[in-house]
Amino acid sequence: MAQIELDGITKKYGSNTALDHVSLTISDNEFFVLFGPAGAGKTTLLKTIAGVEFPQEGLVKIGGEIVNHVEPMNRNVSMVFENYALYPHLNVYDNIASPLRSKLYRHDEDSIKSAVERVTKMMRIDGLLGRKPSQLSNGQRQRVAIGRCLVRNPNVFLMDEPLAHLDAKLRHFMRSELKEMQSSFNSTTIYVTHDYMEAMSLADRIAVLNKGKIEQLGTSQEMYYTPCNEFVSTLFGEPEINLFPAVPVRENGRLRLSVPGGNLLSLEPDVEKLLGSRGDEAYDIGIRGGDIRFSFEPRDGWIAGTVYASEPIGNKVILTAEVGQTKIRVTAPNDTRADLDQPVFLQPDMRNAILFDAEKKTYLTRSRAERLIGTKTPQTAARG
Amino acid sequence: MNTQESAGAKQRRSAGKLTGAALRNLGLCLYALFALFPLIWMIICTFKSDAEMYNTVFRFTPTMENYRAVLLGTDYFKAFLQNLVVSGGAVLLTVVAGVPAAYALARYDFKRKEGIAFQILSFKFAPEIMVVLPVFLIFQKIGLYDTYFGLIWVYQVITMPLLIWVVRGYFEEISVEIEQAAQLDGYPWFQVFFKTLLPLIKPGLVASGLLAFIFAWNSFTFPLVLSGFQIQTITITSLRYIASDTIHYGQVAVASMIAVLPEIVACLFIQKHLVRGLSFGAVKG
Repeated sequence: MAQIELDGITKKYGSNTALDHVSLTISDNEFFVLFGPAGAGKTTLLKTIAGVEFPQEGLVKIGGEIVNHVEPMNRNVSMVFENYALYPHLNVYDNIASPLRSKLYRHDEDSIKSAVERVTKMMRIDGLLGRKPSQLSNGQRQRVAIGRCLVRNPNVFLMDEPLAHLDAKLRHFMRSELKEMQSSFNSTTIYVTHDYMEAMSLADRIAVLNKGKIEQLGTSQEMYYTPCNEFVSTLFGEPEINLFPAVPVRENGRLRLSVPGGNLLSLEPDVEKLLGSRGDEAYDIGIRGGDIRFSFEPRDGWIAGTVYASEPIGNKVILTAEVGQTKIRVTAPNDTRADLDQPVFLQPDMRNAILFDAEKKTYLTRSRAERLIGTKTPQTAARG
Repeated sequence: MNTQESAGAKQRRSAGKLTGAALRNLGLCLYALFALFPLIWMIICTFKSDAEMYNTVFRFTPTMENYRAVLLGTDYFKAFLQNLVVSGGAVLLTVVAGVPAAYALARYDFKRKEGIAFQILSFKFAPEIMVVLPVFLIFQKIGLYDTYFGLIWVYQVITMPLLIWVVRGYFEEISVEIEQAAQLDGYPWFQVFFKTLLPLIKPGLVASGLLAFIFAWNSFTFPLVLSGFQIQTITITSLRYIASDTIHYGQVAVASMIAVLPEIVACLFIQKHLVRGLSFGAVKG
């Protein structure tokens, strides 16, 4: 039940800058995901909000009040730590009951019992109540940690990779459970993950963090369809987005892009118009594996390459084609059989190609982006 | 291989096991006898009269004379109590000041941290006799000579370094997230310490506290020089039975035997804490 505002948060460890002037506003009841590679500063940002790490600069506001000097215990936030941080000397029941036994959030033993039962049932650890953390598997410890976080009803839930150590099936189940619970609990949740599927399925909004700075802020669709730069585009989607250089070629008043393999790709009218108004600088084309058609028979105008790898992953086959020096990953139906080094012919669907500035690596355009993300243009967070 | 043979082999094996166990126990018994013999001899000495003291056979007329002389004839009990006060006080001060110091050395980053930590440990390197003279002169001047507090204070040199180093290791092993989790659970810092940290450092605290107590209890040089008539520790009192003309070995034996009792009792009580391993498995890894 609180809006969280971060204003110019800077945190340094010695000469290392963990957070570099991060400003964010997370609305009340929002499910907000912090996403980024390892070492991006996600955990530090979470701990700054919790109040267990102190920023050198900037303000942290919870519910409109500046809380920089408020003790963690008085911030009414609840956190799942990445390394669980369970109390080794207490059993599962006492670990989960711990927040309800502090003076601040005191409950009587009966309501503690029912609260602990409720979360342990949900986490499917109700059979382990008497065990010590050292007697649990990592997945079980993680669920105890989530249980301890969920057992009370705070202003803000902070979750640092809460599902990272669960097996795939349980992770799916917990993902929907968390989403469901968040909407019924009416509280703001900030969730750290490095799994893009988790981020996209849970988030109201996502912030992509890299090297202590926010790269992009927006909804899952915006991240996926209009990434603000090539870095963000590579973070979302499996297989990773294909990026290859393209040079504009003008002939007969038409603008086309020359790609590796020597082919010329025609552009959508709106894209062609925009590129036509620019100079002749180079571009990077970003296109996802699912937006490339392929054929093992020669087709007129398609890019010719050879099969470099073919990985069946159940519901689809990831086909990697080699075109000159460039490797292009294509999502193929699961009955695709391909021999290595066999010729393959590709045709990118330019309606879904994303064009980046080759020099600055930033987003330029894609055809009719508004059909995917509404009328908004991708916003980059203000840089300090 | 037929079954009879294997049964025979089994029998041979179990017989071999039995002899092995018997030999091992015999060896341990012999070693125990060897290790404990001085103590046994000391206990025997307590029941001997001075005349029979130099007998090396076990035949003698037992007498309680030594016990009477030490326990009733001198102020041995006073020294015992004073030793208890000084050593207990020293350990208490060590724990109260050393645990926060260990925490700071484990958790906070400050300039020359390792230097300070090593400096503390190095107090233990210097022989007591080296520092005792200047301390004696200083204590004379500031009025701490022959006082409880003076001895308790100076004992920190021998009790504190070990405790700080052991407890610091324990603190370092506890992930800082556990403390942070407790804070977020709504506990103020002192409850975080007493409810979360203390149980985890307990094995180390108890073990090093016991060692500190033993160091303080057995200390000889400091009380010899820094205490006079007011405060007498048991190690100094035991000296008194060595008179200029004759040495009452029986009385010395009684004094020493009673002196080691508190240490033995304390060791037996906290034996289980000397086994480490509580905080393992708390943190992933």
